[in-house]
Amino acid sequence: MHEFIKNAKGKVDQAELYWKRTHSIDVSYENNQLQEIAEDDLSSVAVRVIHEGKLGSTFAVSPEQEGLVEQAKTAAANGDKATFSFAPDGDYARVEPPNTETAKLTSEDLVSLCETTRDAIQSKRDDLALSISAQMEKESLSIETTEGAQAHHETAQSVLVISAPIKGAGIGVYKLGVSTQPQTTPTGLIDEFLEWYGWTGKTSTPATGRMPVLFAPEASFLYLLPLWAGLEGNAIEKKTSPIVDRTGEPILSENLTILEDSVSPGGVGARPFDDEGVPCRRRPVVENGVLKGFLLDQRTATAIGQTSTGNASKRELFGGGTETKPSPWPLRWEIPAGTKSYRNIMAGLDEALLVYYGMGFHSGNYPQGQFSIQAIGFHIKGGEVVGRLENTMISANIYEDFKNVSAISAERGHPLGFINGVIPYVLVDSIQVAGS
Amino acid sequence: MQCAAEPLESRYTSEESDGDAMKEKLAGIVGGLSADYADLRYEENRKTRISFKGNQLVEVASYETSGGHVRAYAKGGKAVASFSDPARAGRMAEAVATSAAIAGGRRAKPLRMADAPVVTENFPIHCEQDLRKVSFQEKLDLTTHYNQMILEGAEIATAETNYDEFVSRRIFVNSEGSVIEYEIVLANILGFIVSKRGNVMQRVRFAFGGDADFARIRGREEDLKKRIAFAQQLLDAEPAKAGLFPVILDPSESGVFIHEAFGHLSEADGLQNNPAFREKLQLGAKLAKPILNVYDDPSLPAHPGTYVIDDEGVRGVRTELITEGILSGRLHSRETAAEFGEPLSGNMRAVGEVYTPVVRMSNIGIMPGTDTFDDMVASIDHGYYLVGAKGGQTSGDQFTFGAQWGYRIEDGKLGTMVRDINMSGELFSTLQAISMVGGKTEGSERGGCGKAGQSNRLSGKDTPPIKIDQVTIGGV
Repeated sequence: MHEFIKNAKGKVDQAELYWKRTHSIDVSYENNQLQEIAEDDLSSVAVRVIHEGKLGSTFAVSPEQEGLVEQAKTAAANGDKATFSFAPDGDYARVEPPNTETAKLTSEDLVSLCETTRDAIQSKRDDLALSISAQMEKESLSIETTEGAQAHHETAQSVLVISAPIKGAGIGVYKLGVSTQPQTTPTGLIDEFLEWYGWTGKTSTPATGRMPVLFAPEASFLYLLPLWAGLEGNAIEKKTSPIVDRTGEPILSENLTILEDSVSPGGVGARPFDDEGVPCRRRPVVENGVLKGFLLDQRTATAIGQTSTGNASKRELFGGGTETKPSPWPLRWEIPAGTKSYRNIMAGLDEALLVYYGMGFHSGNYPQGQFSIQAIGFHIKGGEVVGRLENTMISANIYEDFKNVSAISAERGHPLGFINGVIPYVLVDSIQVAGS
Repeated sequence: MQCAAEPLESRYTSEESDGDAMKEKLAGIVGGLSADYADLRYEENRKTRISFKGNQLVEVASYETSGGHVRAYAKGGKAVASFSDPARAGRMAEAVATSAAIAGGRRAKPLRMADAPVVTENFPIHCEQDLRKVSFQEKLDLTTHYNQMILEGAEIATAETNYDEFVSRRIFVNSEGSVIEYEIVLANILGFIVSKRGNVMQRVRFAFGGDADFARIRGREEDLKKRIAFAQQLLDAEPAKAGLFPVILDPSESGVFIHEAFGHLSEADGLQNNPAFREKLQLGAKLAKPILNVYDDPSLPAHPGTYVIDDEGVRGVRTELITEGILSGRLHSRETAAEFGEPLSGNMRAVGEVYTPVVRMSNIGIMPGTDTFDDMVASIDHGYYLVGAKGGQTSGDQFTFGAQWGYRIEDGKLGTMVRDINMSGELFSTLQAISMVGGKTEGSERGGCGKAGQSNRLSGKDTPPIKIDQVTIGGV
C-alpha cells in the first residue's frame, strides 16, 4: 500500500490515488528527413476523496506532493454528494506484462526503423514527400484506494505511422501500425500504403444520392463514437440516449457484434482494470445487432441502480488525461472478423465509396447517432477504384443506416486514436452522399 | 474593462519557485549545454474547474501542476523533451542536446533559426476585475446560477455548465541570454444546452469570458436566455438538405471558416515539409477577390488569443495574411522564419507544461467590407444563412465545419429555421467564391483549436458576415 493511502486513512472517509508515469520516445521524419527527436518523462497524479459524504478531487505531478489530501478535502467541502464508494480489492484478470524488448527501444532504434521504412518505400517510389514517425511508449499505472483496491499495470507499445500528402490536394494517405512488440520493417503496411497512394492519381466526385459505403478500420470512429454516445452512462442516466430503453432489442444489423474486451491477451491497449480500479471483463455490448449492455463507471452505475461495467476512463472525445474526471468510455472494442477480404468486397460493388477518414465529425449531432462529414477515401465503380473522393460528404444515422450491413472483412486494423481496439472493414448498404 | 500584459516587476514569488533563483538555475542549464541553441520553459499552472452535468455538480477542483519543456538545436538537427520533475531538467536537457546532434547528422539540409532579439523582461497580466481576485464561492455561485437558468427552461432535457480557469506563470530562458517571465490568465463559463421533444434532440453551445477579466463572465443572463431560446426553437426546425448552395455565414461561422480553411494554412510549420503546398502558397499568390483582407493580431484587446510574448521568447506582432485578395504574410516560428526567409511573427505557442510549442494563430480576423446583411440575403435565390460556430476541421486544402442552426433563403428572403448542418469545401475555390463581406465584425469569447494534440483556448477571431457563392452542405 502506498504511503499516501496509509496517510489518508483517518483524515478522510475514503481516498483514491491514481498515478501514471510515462516514458516515451518519438522520432519523426518529414519530407524524407529527420525533423525531430522527442522524449517525454512524465508523472501525473489524481486524488479523489470522499469526506463527510461529499466528493472532492485534486491533481499533482507526484503523490509525495504535500497537502494533497487537504486540497481534496477543501474541494469536497464544495463538492456534491458522493453516491458511490471507491473500488474495493478486485479480482483482476491476468494481462501480459510489457514486452521488455519494446520497452528498451532507443531513439537510435526508432531512427533506424524510420530510415528502413523510408528506403523501402523510396526503392519503389521516390517522388513522395514522406512523413514517417516511430514511437515507443512505456506506461505504468497504479490505482489504490482506502477501500482495498491495489491495481498496478505496465504497458509498452510501438507505433509506426507512414503518410504522404497527395499531390495537388493537401490531404494525405496514411497507414498506421501499432504493436506491443518491437516493429521490424513493415512490408505489408508499406505495400498497402503504396497501393492506396497509387489510387490517388485521379479525383472523382459521385453524384448526390444514396449508395453503399465501405468503412475502413481507420474510419470506424464515425459509427463507433455515436454508438459510445448512446451507450455511455451519463446519457443513460439523463435519458438523452436514443437507445436508453432498448436493451435486448436489435439496434444495428444482425451482422454486427461489438465486444468490450480490454483483457485480450497480447492486445494493444489491453488492461486488467479501468481508471477507477474496477476489474475489466470481456463482454458483448452489441451481439448480432442486439443491444446487450451499457458502458458504466461507478457514478453512473449507481445512478441507474446497476454496478460498474469497468468502463471508467480519463479519456474523452478530444483528449483527456490524468486531470480529466473518469467517465464511461470503451476501453477496447473488437468487431469479429468476417470471411471475405475487403478487396473481394469492393470487387462486388457497382458503385460505392471506400472511406478511410471523415472530417468534421465533432460538428455533427453524434449523441443522437448521426454523423455528417466530408468523406476522405475512394470512389468505386464496377468493383474498382476510379479515383480519390473530392467534394464529397456523407451523412448517416447509425440506428437507421447501420441496420443494413452486408459484409464484414477478414482483415482487421486499429481505429484512429479515439478508440482502442481491432475493427474490420464494414460495408453499409445505403448511405446519403452529397457530391456533384 | 480590458486586461493588459506589460513589462513590470516579477510576480514569481512562491517559496519553492522563487523567480530569480529559478531563472538562474534554468539559464545555467541551457547555457551549459553542448548545442548551437537551447531553450527551456518552466511552468506553474493553477487550474480551477467547476462542472455541472444536469443538476449534478460532478466536479469541483482547484489545483496546481508544474513541469517543463526543453529544446535544443545542434549540428542542424533538433530534439525536444518534456519533464514533470524540475530536478530532472538538467538530465533531460543533456539528453536533448545529444539527440539533436544525432538528428543533425541524419539531415541533408540543416535546420536553422532566424535571429531574434534577446528579451529580459517580465510580462504579468493586469486587469481591474482580475479573476484571481474573485472568490471561489462567487465562481461556484455564478456557475450554479447559469446552470439553473438553463434547466428551468421549457423542453430542456439537460445541460452541461462548466467554469474553466487557467492561470499559467511561465519562465523562458534560452542560450542566447533571454530570460522572460510571463503569465497567461483566462476563464470561461461554457457548456451546452440540450433541448428535447419526442425523438428530436438538439444541442446549442454557449461560452462567456475568454480572458482575465471576470466582468466578461458576470451578468450574462440575457445572452444565456437567447441561447436557451435557440435550443427550444431548433425543435421545430427541419434538417438541412444535402447539395451545393450559396450561403451567408454569420460572424461566428465566418470566424471558424477563416480559421479552419485558411488560417491553418498560414501556419508555416504545416507547409515547411510539404513541397506542393509551398509552391502553391507563395507570397503574392492571388487567393481571393480584392474585397478579402485577412490578418492575425495577438494585440487585439479583449480577445482570447491576445498575448505579448510567445513560448519561444518572441514578441507577437500583427501579420497581414491576405491583402486585397493577395497572400501577403505567414505565421512563423524562428525555425520556419529562417526556412522561408520571412519576418518573425511570434506565433509559437504551447498549451501547457508538457507540450512543445507549435506555430498557431493568435486572433485571426477579416477586415470589414461594405456589404449590408440585407443586400447579402437579397442576392440569394435558393440557399442558407448559417449561424453559430459548431467546430470545424481542416486537412490541407479540405475543410469541414458545422453550424448550430440556420435559415433557408428563398427568393432573396430569410425563411424557416434549419438544423443538423455541416458543410465542406476546398479552400482555394471557396476563397475565390467569397463575393460579399459585411461591414461589422464580431469577436469570439471562446478559443478552442486543436493542433498537434494540443487544444488551445488562447485562440480568437474577429470577423464580419460573408457570402460564399457555393459550398457543399451535407444534410439529409
